[in-house]
Amino acid sequence: MRLLIVEDDAPLASGLQRILEAEGHAVDVTPRGEEAVLAASQEKFDLVILDIGLPQMDGFEVLRRLRAGAGPMPVLVLTARDAVDDRVRGLDLGADDYMVKPFAMPELTARVRALLRRSQAHGGPRIAHGPLQLDTVARRAFLRNEPLELAAREWAVLEVLLARVEKIVSKEAIIQAVAGWGDDLSPNAIEVYVSRLRSKLEPAGIRIRTVRGFGYMLEEFK
Amino acid sequence: MAGRSLRAHLLRMLLPPIAAALALGALVSYFPTIEPATHAYDQALVDIGLAVGMHVRVMQTEYRFELPAAVEQVLRTDRFDKIYYRVMSPAGLEIAGDPGLPAPPGDAVAHNAIYNGDKVRVVSVQSPCGRSTCTVLVGETMVKRERLARELLLQSIFPELFIAIATLLIVWFGVKRGLQPLARLSDEIKSRSAGDLRPIDAAGAPEETRPLVGALNGLLTEVSAASRKQQRFLADAAHQLRTPLAGLRAHAELALAQPLPDASRAQVEQVHQATIRTARLANQLLALARAEPGARSITSLVDLKSLVEGEADAWVHQALARDIDLGFELAPAPVEGDAFLLREALANLVHNALEYSARGARVTVRTGSGERGAFLEVEDDGPGIPSAERPRVLERFYRVPGTPGTGSGLGLAIVREIVASHGAALAINEGMGARGCRVGITFPHG
Repeated sequence: MRLLIVEDDAPLASGLQRILEAEGHAVDVTPRGEEAVLAASQEKFDLVILDIGLPQMDGFEVLRRLRAGAGPMPVLVLTARDAVDDRVRGLDLGADDYMVKPFAMPELTARVRALLRRSQAHGGPRIAHGPLQLDTVARRAFLRNEPLELAAREWAVLEVLLARVEKIVSKEAIIQAVAGWGDDLSPNAIEVYVSRLRSKLEPAGIRIRTVRGFGYMLEEFK
Repeated sequence: MAGRSLRAHLLRMLLPPIAAALALGALVSYFPTIEPATHAYDQALVDIGLAVGMHVRVMQTEYRFELPAAVEQVLRTDRFDKIYYRVMSPAGLEIAGDPGLPAPPGDAVAHNAIYNGDKVRVVSVQSPCGRSTCTVLVGETMVKRERLARELLLQSIFPELFIAIATLLIVWFGVKRGLQPLARLSDEIKSRSAGDLRPIDAAGAPEETRPLVGALNGLLTEVSAASRKQQRFLADAAHQLRTPLAGLRAHAELALAQPLPDASRAQVEQVHQATIRTARLANQLLALARAEPGARSITSLVDLKSLVEGEADAWVHQALARDIDLGFELAPAPVEGDAFLLREALANLVHNALEYSARGARVTVRTGSGERGAFLEVEDDGPGIPSAERPRVLERFYRVPGTPGTGSGLGLAIVREIVASHGAALAINEGMGARGCRVGITFPHG
């Protein structure tokens, strides 16, 4: 994948570049917002990592121009401030995710992977997670290329968890996402669907972790 | 009212003029009354003189004075005073009476003099004797006159004195009443919390106190500006530290991802850990600066449940890395507060629970609304805090002796500041089954 890092702190920028290159990405770096806007208008990037605290044109402005021009690639915002916290937190400026400095590199690479996966999924009808493949148009699932039988609600629950791999998802959020299927759902019902999904997926090494009193998390496939 | 009392000062200033006015008033009412009274006493002496004069007989060229003893006794009798008389011929020769009684000088008909060592009032009466006139002097000691003068003086002083005392009382209580707006002002300032630097409302203040209120508001504005400047500096400093720390951490983690000789790996590991600690310390200092009294906090309605939900993902990953079972029991818990600070307090409590619990431990975060108000609570089954240490762990930079790890000792001090700035209560107890530690924050209703 092709990534663009917009960060004016040279040591941090070079560190990020090397880590993401080690993940197998092609990485360009610029310290200036104006250059980032120009580069994104001329070439196609799969993801932008954008620092908010840039000199001259700040990250918010860069983000606004990227969204106005270059299209729908995911943007991961980096911030050192929490005064702008709530603006960034709300992600209402069109950023797809944010991280507060300083952050752990494994967390950064995990977020980058998740964002890329999500944007690829938006691009096509198929979502992949290790040996699991979902065809969202045909609503069919395959495990190790074998068709996998899933009830409608099991499918819906799996889709919610897959959209947020490595992130905890509350039972309420799952109920809300599945509620389109009609009648009332109790948290207990969600437990039943998750337990059925587990028995179907765990033999293939796909794990759904329970977060006590909160919800579930689809673990990254290793 | 120690020191310079405004009341006492006002009284001190008012006393001399009031005393002077009192004296003047007394004199002004004394003289007009003493004059007629003196005149009446003089007239009584003149009457005696006329009566004495009638007893002078002219025998050819000789003047004879014949006063029966009984009459003389009547004339000379008075309850209070001694009465003297002296009769002189037209030529000024002594005829009878008390020789040497001093005559008024010149044409005067009455005067005060000294006779036999007493103060006397002497009047002179012209009495017909033959074809000429004799002079009769009648004197009287001043006992009843002085008594009258004293009485008159007292009579005129009493009302004056009454007015003066009334004036002083009116000043004493009037000053208190008059200063009530100031007392109200000081009550308003006293009732404020230490961090409340809003200007005082001048609308209800009387005109005379406006300059004071204005000056106070000016001072408050300056103090709060200075405080904001300091907060901003601390916040900026903490923020500025974050970017270089992020770079440092990135390179440490890059280095650790590569094959390294064991000795170098241990060193890079140290750098990595120190970087993480420094970053945490910067965050804590920032939180401390923002929780301190006087800091401008941004208050809104915050649901502690949503706050926990927003942070849960990061905590769960930290817990998984330490093989700790982090769970939640969340019910809505709306409070009025500063979301940043509340999030920081929560983060510190959860961080402590994760940091000081062993692998396989169980940590639970709870929120909800109970009878005593909204609450949040973090419970672990780790080593706990001995009850003797509990008050001390809230002090800045204090760490329980023998605690593993390298914490700054700021976490609970920050929690305490944040709890205090929200008017909430902090409690440290044992966890379930008298194991571990349960730290709870309760927010009072309203």
